[in-house]
Amino acid sequence: MADPNKVDPIHQFQITDIVSFGDGGISFTNSALFMVLTVGLIAAYLILSTQKRALVPNRVQLVSEMLYEFVAKMVSDSAGKAGMKFFPFVFSLFMFVLVANMFGMIPFFFTVTSHIIITFALAMLVFAVVIIYGFWKNGFKFLKLFVPSGVPAYVLPIVVPIEFVSFLSRPISLSVRLFANILAGHITLKVFAGFIVTLGGLGFLGWLGALLPLIMTVAITALEFLVAALQAYVFAVLTSMYINDAIHPGH
Amino acid sequence: MTESRGTKRPSSDGKPGPLTSDLAARIKRAQVEADVPGDADIAATNRDMSGLSRGLRLGSEFIAAILVGAGLGYLLDLWLKTSPWLLLVMLLVGFAAGVLNVVRSTAEMNRAAPPPTDAMRVPDDAEDE
Repeated sequence: MADPNKVDPIHQFQITDIVSFGDGGISFTNSALFMVLTVGLIAAYLILSTQKRALVPNRVQLVSEMLYEFVAKMVSDSAGKAGMKFFPFVFSLFMFVLVANMFGMIPFFFTVTSHIIITFALAMLVFAVVIIYGFWKNGFKFLKLFVPSGVPAYVLPIVVPIEFVSFLSRPISLSVRLFANILAGHITLKVFAGFIVTLGGLGFLGWLGALLPLIMTVAITALEFLVAALQAYVFAVLTSMYINDAIHPGH
Repeated sequence: MTESRGTKRPSSDGKPGPLTSDLAARIKRAQVEADVPGDADIAATNRDMSGLSRGLRLGSEFIAAILVGAGLGYLLDLWLKTSPWLLLVMLLVGFAAGVLNVVRSTAEMNRAAPPPTDAMRVPDDAEDE
Protein backbone atom coordinates (compact mmCIF):
# COMPACT_ATOMS: atom_id res chain seq x y z
CA MET A 1 0.00 0.00 0.00
CA ALA A 2 3.02 2.25 0.37
CA ASP A 3 3.43 2.63 -3.36
CA PRO A 4 0.46 4.59 -4.65
CA ASN A 5 1.08 3.43 -8.22
CA LYS A 6 0.68 -0.17 -7.30
CA VAL A 7 -2.90 -1.26 -7.69
CA ASP A 8 -3.97 -4.30 -5.75
CA PRO A 9 -7.57 -5.07 -6.65
CA ILE A 10 -7.65 -8.21 -4.48
CA HIS A 11 -6.62 -6.49 -1.29
CA GLN A 12 -10.17 -5.43 -0.53
CA PHE A 13 -11.27 -9.02 -0.07
CA GLN A 14 -8.71 -9.89 2.59
CA ILE A 15 -10.13 -11.20 5.81
CA THR A 16 -8.44 -9.84 8.88
CA ASP A 17 -8.96 -10.69 12.49
CA ILE A 18 -10.33 -7.99 14.71
CA VAL A 19 -10.52 -9.99 17.89
CA SER A 20 -9.19 -13.53 18.08
CA PHE A 21 -9.82 -15.99 20.80
CA GLY A 22 -6.79 -18.19 21.18
CA ASP A 23 -4.27 -19.19 18.51
CA GLY A 24 -5.82 -20.54 15.35
CA GLY A 25 -9.13 -20.67 17.08
CA ILE A 26 -12.29 -18.72 16.51
CA SER A 27 -11.81 -15.08 15.73
CA PHE A 28 -14.07 -12.16 15.04
CA THR A 29 -13.10 -11.02 11.54
CA ASN A 30 -14.01 -8.02 9.47
CA SER A 31 -16.35 -10.30 7.53
CA ALA A 32 -18.15 -11.22 10.72
CA LEU A 33 -18.27 -7.59 11.74
CA PHE A 34 -20.02 -6.62 8.53
CA MET A 35 -22.43 -9.51 8.81
CA VAL A 36 -23.35 -8.27 12.26
CA LEU A 37 -23.67 -4.72 10.94
CA THR A 38 -25.88 -5.94 8.09
CA VAL A 39 -28.24 -7.82 10.35
CA GLY A 40 -28.17 -4.98 12.87
CA LEU A 41 -29.07 -2.38 10.27
CA ILE A 42 -31.91 -4.47 8.85
CA ALA A 43 -33.34 -5.22 12.28
CA ALA A 44 -32.98 -1.67 13.50
CA TYR A 45 -34.50 -0.16 10.39
CA LEU A 46 -37.45 -2.51 10.18
CA ILE A 47 -38.23 -2.33 13.88
CA LEU A 48 -37.85 1.43 14.22
CA SER A 49 -39.67 2.28 11.02
CA THR A 50 -42.69 0.13 11.76
CA GLN A 51 -42.87 1.00 15.43
CA LYS A 52 -45.55 3.62 15.07
CA ARG A 53 -47.75 1.39 12.91
CA ALA A 54 -49.32 4.45 11.40
CA LEU A 55 -52.32 3.81 9.18
CA VAL A 56 -51.02 6.47 6.87
CA PRO A 57 -47.33 5.63 6.75
CA ASN A 58 -44.60 8.22 6.70
CA ARG A 59 -41.71 7.82 4.28
CA VAL A 60 -39.61 5.60 6.49
CA GLN A 61 -42.45 3.22 7.20
CA LEU A 62 -43.44 3.26 3.56
CA VAL A 63 -40.07 1.89 2.52
CA SER A 64 -40.46 -1.01 4.94
CA GLU A 65 -43.95 -1.70 3.66
CA MET A 66 -42.79 -1.59 0.06
CA LEU A 67 -40.01 -4.05 0.81
CA TYR A 68 -42.52 -6.32 2.48
CA GLU A 69 -44.98 -6.11 -0.39
CA PHE A 70 -42.27 -6.57 -2.99
CA VAL A 71 -41.04 -9.81 -1.45
CA ALA A 72 -44.57 -10.99 -0.62
CA LYS A 73 -45.62 -10.55 -4.24
CA MET A 74 -42.49 -12.32 -5.44
CA VAL A 75 -43.08 -15.31 -3.14
CA SER A 76 -46.79 -15.65 -3.87
CA ASP A 77 -46.19 -15.27 -7.61
CA SER A 78 -43.67 -18.07 -7.81
CA ALA A 79 -44.65 -20.37 -4.95
CA GLY A 80 -48.37 -19.65 -4.55
CA LYS A 81 -50.32 -19.34 -1.32
CA ALA A 82 -48.66 -22.38 0.23
CA GLY A 83 -45.32 -20.73 -0.31
CA MET A 84 -46.19 -17.79 1.92
CA LYS A 85 -45.22 -20.03 4.83
CA PHE A 86 -41.67 -19.39 3.72
CA PHE A 87 -42.06 -15.66 3.40
CA PRO A 88 -39.98 -14.86 6.52
CA PHE A 89 -37.20 -17.08 5.18
CA VAL A 90 -37.14 -15.49 1.72
CA PHE A 91 -37.49 -12.01 3.16
CA SER A 92 -34.54 -12.55 5.50
CA LEU A 93 -32.40 -13.88 2.67
CA PHE A 94 -33.39 -11.03 0.36
CA MET A 95 -32.72 -8.35 2.94
CA PHE A 96 -29.42 -9.87 4.01
CA VAL A 97 -28.08 -10.16 0.48
CA LEU A 98 -29.40 -6.74 -0.50
CA VAL A 99 -27.98 -4.88 2.47
CA ALA A 100 -24.69 -6.80 2.38
CA ASN A 101 -24.30 -5.92 -1.31
CA MET A 102 -25.16 -2.30 -0.67
CA PHE A 103 -22.72 -2.13 2.24
CA GLY A 104 -20.09 -3.37 -0.16
CA MET A 105 -20.65 -0.32 -2.35
CA ILE A 106 -19.54 2.04 0.43
CA PRO A 107 -15.81 2.76 0.18
CA PHE A 108 -13.58 0.97 2.72
CA PHE A 109 -16.40 -1.37 3.66
CA PHE A 110 -15.97 -5.09 3.40
CA THR A 111 -18.24 -6.94 0.99
CA VAL A 112 -19.56 -10.01 2.76
CA THR A 113 -21.09 -11.56 -0.35
CA SER A 114 -17.82 -11.46 -2.30
CA HIS A 115 -16.70 -14.64 -0.53
CA ILE A 116 -18.05 -17.85 -1.96
CA ILE A 117 -18.22 -19.53 1.41
CA ILE A 118 -20.86 -17.03 2.50
CA THR A 119 -22.98 -17.34 -0.62
CA PHE A 120 -22.53 -21.11 -0.64
CA ALA A 121 -23.68 -21.29 2.96
CA LEU A 122 -26.78 -19.28 2.05
CA ALA A 123 -27.44 -21.50 -0.97
CA MET A 124 -27.00 -24.68 1.08
CA LEU A 125 -29.46 -23.29 3.59
CA VAL A 126 -32.01 -22.89 0.81
CA PHE A 127 -31.18 -26.35 -0.50
CA ALA A 128 -31.54 -27.95 2.93
CA VAL A 129 -34.88 -26.23 3.48
CA VAL A 130 -36.13 -27.44 0.10
CA ILE A 131 -35.04 -31.04 0.67
CA ILE A 132 -36.20 -31.33 4.26
CA TYR A 133 -39.52 -29.63 3.68
CA GLY A 134 -40.01 -31.54 0.42
CA PHE A 135 -39.60 -34.92 2.10
CA TRP A 136 -41.55 -33.87 5.17
CA LYS A 137 -44.46 -32.57 3.14
CA ASN A 138 -44.60 -35.05 0.26
CA GLY A 139 -42.79 -38.08 1.60
CA PHE A 140 -41.32 -40.16 -1.17
CA LYS A 141 -43.49 -38.40 -3.69
CA PHE A 142 -40.85 -35.68 -3.50
CA LEU A 143 -38.69 -37.93 -5.68
CA LYS A 144 -41.16 -37.29 -8.47
CA LEU A 145 -39.13 -34.12 -8.91
CA PHE A 146 -36.63 -36.25 -10.79
CA VAL A 147 -39.25 -37.93 -12.96
CA PRO A 148 -40.82 -35.42 -15.30
CA SER A 149 -44.37 -36.30 -16.22
CA GLY A 150 -45.15 -37.46 -19.72
CA VAL A 151 -41.81 -39.11 -20.36
CA PRO A 152 -41.91 -42.68 -21.72
CA ALA A 153 -40.47 -45.30 -19.39
CA TYR A 154 -37.60 -46.32 -21.62
CA VAL A 155 -36.06 -42.83 -21.56
CA LEU A 156 -36.20 -42.61 -17.78
CA PRO A 157 -32.76 -44.21 -17.14
CA ILE A 158 -31.27 -41.27 -19.04
CA VAL A 159 -33.59 -38.54 -17.85
CA VAL A 160 -33.46 -39.29 -14.14
CA PRO A 161 -29.67 -38.89 -13.75
CA ILE A 162 -29.84 -35.70 -15.79
CA GLU A 163 -32.59 -34.31 -13.58
CA PHE A 164 -30.66 -35.39 -10.52
CA VAL A 165 -27.48 -33.61 -11.60
CA SER A 166 -29.55 -30.60 -12.60
CA PHE A 167 -31.06 -30.54 -9.12
CA LEU A 168 -27.68 -30.86 -7.42
CA SER A 169 -26.27 -28.05 -9.53
CA ARG A 170 -28.75 -25.54 -8.13
CA PRO A 171 -26.98 -24.53 -4.92
CA ILE A 172 -23.74 -24.24 -6.85
CA SER A 173 -25.13 -22.01 -9.57
CA LEU A 174 -27.05 -20.00 -6.98
CA SER A 175 -23.96 -19.32 -4.90
CA VAL A 176 -21.52 -18.90 -7.77
CA ARG A 177 -23.75 -16.38 -9.50
CA LEU A 178 -24.02 -14.04 -6.53
CA PHE A 179 -20.36 -14.36 -5.54
CA ALA A 180 -19.04 -13.99 -9.09
CA ASN A 181 -21.16 -10.94 -9.86
CA ILE A 182 -20.07 -9.12 -6.74
CA LEU A 183 -16.44 -10.19 -6.92
CA ALA A 184 -16.06 -9.33 -10.61
CA GLY A 185 -17.81 -6.01 -10.16
CA HIS A 186 -15.63 -4.93 -7.27
CA ILE A 187 -12.43 -5.97 -9.01
CA THR A 188 -13.43 -4.10 -12.18
CA LEU A 189 -14.23 -1.03 -10.16
CA LYS A 190 -10.90 -1.15 -8.37
CA VAL A 191 -8.91 -1.74 -11.55
CA PHE A 192 -10.49 1.20 -13.36
CA ALA A 193 -10.06 3.42 -10.33
CA GLY A 194 -6.44 2.31 -10.21
CA PHE A 195 -5.94 3.45 -13.82
CA ILE A 196 -6.79 6.98 -12.74
CA VAL A 197 -4.00 7.02 -10.18
CA THR A 198 -1.50 5.37 -12.47
CA LEU A 199 -2.22 7.73 -15.38
CA GLY A 200 -2.21 10.68 -13.02
CA GLY A 201 1.39 9.95 -12.22
CA LEU A 202 2.37 10.83 -15.79
CA GLY A 203 1.89 14.58 -15.49
CA PHE A 204 -0.53 16.83 -17.34
CA LEU A 205 -1.20 14.53 -20.30
CA GLY A 206 -1.72 11.74 -17.85
CA TRP A 207 -4.39 13.71 -16.05
CA LEU A 208 -6.16 14.30 -19.35
CA GLY A 209 -6.01 10.60 -20.12
CA ALA A 210 -7.21 9.79 -16.62
CA LEU A 211 -10.53 11.41 -17.46
CA LEU A 212 -11.52 8.33 -19.44
CA PRO A 213 -11.18 5.80 -16.61
CA LEU A 214 -12.76 8.34 -14.29
CA ILE A 215 -15.91 8.46 -16.41
CA MET A 216 -15.78 4.69 -16.67
CA THR A 217 -15.52 4.35 -12.90
CA VAL A 218 -18.55 6.54 -12.37
CA ALA A 219 -20.52 4.47 -14.87
CA ILE A 220 -19.41 1.17 -13.34
CA THR A 221 -20.34 2.41 -9.88
CA ALA A 222 -23.88 3.00 -11.09
CA LEU A 223 -23.91 -0.41 -12.74
CA GLU A 224 -22.66 -2.02 -9.56
CA PHE A 225 -25.53 -0.54 -7.55
CA LEU A 226 -27.90 -2.04 -10.09
CA VAL A 227 -26.13 -5.41 -9.92
CA ALA A 228 -26.17 -5.36 -6.13
CA ALA A 229 -29.94 -4.90 -6.06
CA LEU A 230 -30.59 -7.23 -8.96
CA GLN A 231 -28.55 -10.10 -7.56
CA ALA A 232 -30.45 -9.90 -4.28
CA TYR A 233 -33.66 -10.04 -6.30
CA VAL A 234 -32.47 -12.97 -8.38
CA PHE A 235 -31.36 -14.86 -5.29
CA ALA A 236 -34.75 -14.38 -3.67
CA VAL A 237 -36.71 -15.25 -6.82
CA LEU A 238 -34.78 -18.46 -7.36
CA THR A 239 -35.18 -19.34 -3.70
CA SER A 240 -38.93 -19.04 -3.96
CA MET A 241 -38.92 -21.07 -7.18
CA TYR A 242 -36.99 -23.88 -5.50
CA ILE A 243 -39.38 -23.73 -2.58
CA ASN A 244 -42.20 -24.07 -5.08
CA ASP A 245 -40.54 -27.29 -6.26
CA ALA A 246 -40.53 -28.54 -2.68
CA ILE A 247 -44.22 -27.81 -2.29
CA HIS A 248 -45.34 -29.15 -5.66
CA PRO A 249 -42.84 -31.73 -6.94
CA GLY A 250 -43.29 -32.96 -10.50
CA HIS A 251 -43.18 -30.45 -13.28
CA MET B 1 -64.51 -4.48 -8.16
CA THR B 2 -63.70 -0.98 -7.03
CA GLU B 3 -65.96 0.45 -9.62
CA SER B 4 -69.05 -1.50 -8.56
CA ARG B 5 -68.46 -0.55 -4.96
CA GLY B 6 -67.85 3.04 -5.83
CA THR B 7 -71.03 3.37 -7.85
CA LYS B 8 -73.20 1.41 -5.46
CA ARG B 9 -72.29 3.02 -2.22
CA PRO B 10 -73.38 6.61 -2.81
CA SER B 11 -76.77 5.48 -4.15
CA SER B 12 -77.36 3.05 -1.29
CA ASP B 13 -76.99 5.56 1.50
CA GLY B 14 -78.97 8.04 -0.45
CA LYS B 15 -76.49 10.88 -0.87
CA PRO B 16 -74.36 10.59 -3.92
CA GLY B 17 -71.99 13.18 -2.54
CA PRO B 18 -69.33 14.32 -4.91
CA LEU B 19 -66.76 13.60 -2.22
CA THR B 20 -67.50 9.85 -2.03
CA SER B 21 -67.66 9.25 -5.75
CA ASP B 22 -64.56 11.33 -6.16
CA LEU B 23 -62.81 9.19 -3.56
CA ALA B 24 -63.80 6.00 -5.36
CA ALA B 25 -62.49 7.38 -8.60
CA ARG B 26 -59.28 8.41 -6.90
CA ILE B 27 -58.82 5.02 -5.29
CA LYS B 28 -59.36 3.37 -8.63
CA ARG B 29 -56.89 5.65 -10.31
CA ALA B 30 -54.33 5.04 -7.56
CA GLN B 31 -54.77 1.30 -7.92
CA VAL B 32 -54.28 1.44 -11.64
CA GLU B 33 -51.22 3.62 -11.18
CA ALA B 34 -49.80 1.40 -8.46
CA ASP B 35 -50.25 -1.69 -10.58
CA VAL B 36 -48.85 -0.60 -13.87
CA PRO B 37 -45.53 1.04 -13.02
CA GLY B 38 -44.63 -1.75 -10.61
CA ASP B 39 -44.90 -4.45 -13.23
CA ALA B 40 -43.40 -2.29 -15.90
CA ASP B 41 -40.50 -1.48 -13.58
CA ILE B 42 -39.62 -5.09 -12.98
CA ALA B 43 -39.97 -5.97 -16.63
CA ALA B 44 -37.85 -2.99 -17.57
CA THR B 45 -35.12 -3.97 -15.10
CA ASN B 46 -35.16 -7.48 -16.45
CA ARG B 47 -34.77 -6.22 -19.97
CA ASP B 48 -32.17 -3.61 -19.09
CA MET B 49 -29.99 -6.08 -17.32
CA SER B 50 -30.44 -8.67 -20.02
CA GLY B 51 -26.88 -8.56 -21.28
CA LEU B 52 -24.81 -9.02 -18.15
CA SER B 53 -27.26 -10.68 -15.85
CA ARG B 54 -28.74 -13.13 -18.32
CA GLY B 55 -25.32 -14.11 -19.56
CA LEU B 56 -23.97 -14.70 -16.08
CA ARG B 57 -27.08 -16.54 -15.05
CA LEU B 58 -27.07 -18.90 -18.02
CA GLY B 59 -23.33 -19.38 -17.78
CA SER B 60 -23.40 -20.26 -14.13
CA GLU B 61 -26.33 -22.63 -14.61
CA PHE B 62 -24.49 -24.42 -17.40
CA ILE B 63 -21.10 -24.66 -15.72
CA ALA B 64 -22.49 -25.65 -12.34
CA ALA B 65 -24.23 -28.67 -13.83
CA ILE B 66 -21.07 -29.81 -15.62
CA LEU B 67 -19.00 -29.41 -12.45
CA VAL B 68 -21.54 -31.31 -10.37
CA GLY B 69 -21.76 -34.08 -12.96
CA ALA B 70 -17.99 -34.47 -13.23
CA GLY B 71 -17.56 -34.30 -9.47
CA LEU B 72 -20.23 -36.92 -8.91
CA GLY B 73 -18.61 -39.19 -11.49
CA TYR B 74 -15.19 -38.74 -9.91
CA LEU B 75 -16.50 -39.63 -6.46
CA LEU B 76 -18.36 -42.66 -7.80
CA ASP B 77 -15.16 -43.74 -9.55
CA LEU B 78 -13.21 -43.46 -6.32
CA TRP B 79 -15.84 -45.48 -4.54
CA LEU B 80 -16.38 -48.21 -7.15
CA LYS B 81 -12.77 -48.17 -8.46
CA THR B 82 -13.96 -47.91 -12.06
CA SER B 83 -11.81 -44.94 -13.00
CA PRO B 84 -12.22 -43.21 -15.41
CA TRP B 85 -15.46 -44.56 -16.88
CA LEU B 86 -18.05 -43.09 -14.57
CA LEU B 87 -16.30 -39.74 -14.68
CA LEU B 88 -16.71 -39.71 -18.45
CA VAL B 89 -20.33 -40.82 -18.35
CA MET B 90 -21.26 -38.35 -15.63
CA LEU B 91 -19.45 -35.54 -17.41
CA LEU B 92 -21.76 -36.09 -20.36
CA VAL B 93 -24.77 -36.35 -18.07
CA GLY B 94 -23.68 -33.11 -16.45
CA PHE B 95 -23.42 -31.53 -19.87
CA ALA B 96 -26.97 -32.63 -20.65
CA ALA B 97 -28.15 -31.33 -17.28
CA GLY B 98 -26.45 -28.02 -18.06
CA VAL B 99 -28.35 -27.75 -21.33
CA LEU B 100 -31.54 -28.62 -19.47
CA ASN B 101 -30.81 -25.90 -16.90
CA VAL B 102 -30.21 -23.35 -19.61
CA VAL B 103 -33.41 -24.28 -21.45
CA ARG B 104 -35.40 -24.09 -18.21
CA SER B 105 -34.05 -20.76 -17.08
CA THR B 106 -34.50 -19.26 -20.52
CA ALA B 107 -38.13 -20.39 -20.48
CA GLU B 108 -38.47 -18.86 -17.02
CA MET B 109 -36.98 -15.58 -18.13
CA ASN B 110 -39.29 -15.41 -21.10
CA ARG B 111 -42.25 -16.10 -18.85
CA ALA B 112 -41.10 -13.51 -16.32
CA ALA B 113 -40.51 -10.80 -18.91
CA PRO B 114 -42.55 -11.65 -21.97
CA PRO B 115 -41.98 -9.54 -25.04
CA PRO B 116 -44.28 -6.56 -24.54
CA THR B 117 -47.54 -6.68 -26.45
CA ASP B 118 -47.07 -3.06 -27.41
CA ALA B 119 -43.62 -3.82 -28.73
CA MET B 120 -44.43 -2.22 -32.04
CA ARG B 121 -44.80 1.16 -30.38
CA VAL B 122 -41.11 1.14 -29.50
CA PRO B 123 -38.93 2.05 -32.47
CA ASP B 124 -36.57 -0.74 -33.36
CA ASP B 125 -33.46 1.37 -33.02
CA ALA B 126 -34.32 2.45 -29.51
CA GLU B 127 -34.47 -1.13 -28.31
CA ASP B 128 -31.29 -2.18 -30.01
CA GLU B 129 -29.24 0.55 -28.44
